[in-house]
Amino acid sequence: MFHCEVVDVSKGEISLEKAQKFIESQKCGASLFFTGTVRDHNNDKTVTGITYDAHDAMVKKSFSEIYNDAISKLKLEHPAAFVEHAKGYVPLGGTSVIIAVACKHRAQVYEFSRFIIEEIKKRTPIWKKEHYEGENSKWLEGKQIQK
Amino acid sequence: MKIKLELFGVCREFSDNDFLNFDFDEDIEIKDLRKEVEKFVSKQFPENKNFLEMVKKSAFSSEANEIIGDDFKLNKNQTVSIIPPIGGG
Repeated sequence: MFHCEVVDVSKGEISLEKAQKFIESQKCGASLFFTGTVRDHNNDKTVTGITYDAHDAMVKKSFSEIYNDAISKLKLEHPAAFVEHAKGYVPLGGTSVIIAVACKHRAQVYEFSRFIIEEIKKRTPIWKKEHYEGENSKWLEGKQIQK
Repeated sequence: MKIKLELFGVCREFSDNDFLNFDFDEDIEIKDLRKEVEKFVSKQFPENKNFLEMVKKSAFSSEANEIIGDDFKLNKNQTVSIIPPIGGG
């Protein structure tokens, strides 16, 4: 059971409530919620917010591939995952990503959640432009996607 | 042949639009498109070496949302996306 979305934060919001409703299942003995939030500093600069950019179609495709890879690599039982990532300006303290997972046993949910966020960082086409005090901003240099 | 190049991340700074248009007289490969983007950036932003570096480090994706290599052939009007180094989450 899987849900993923890129959420334009000027039109909607990502919410833990929605994530919780999605992964609820009597077959699962464990669930885990991960949220990524905008922190107040990076590289000795005071961060006021981050603008996230995304190639929506490729992001959703990537999320699905990551989910399927997790099931086969981690041999998950009764997996469920809810992944939403923000697109647009997220202010300091705002939520950029929610990963909610559920499985039969507790050990699997930690592996499952970690696998998803680490793979997103490696292969999902999302970009960050940090905004700093003083109105400067900068696109962060990320990882090259392998061709 | 018209190639519309959709811009993402730092490459959005290349234009006020979300894309660049390129015209070619014959079939090309992605490596040829990359060279054209490099020429465009060098001409438009001669002071900004980071932009040129980003083009060199970027991948490209097809209309089918697949990452395509430098030898991928473009032989009809189509949209291609430039995928600079990523960093979400």
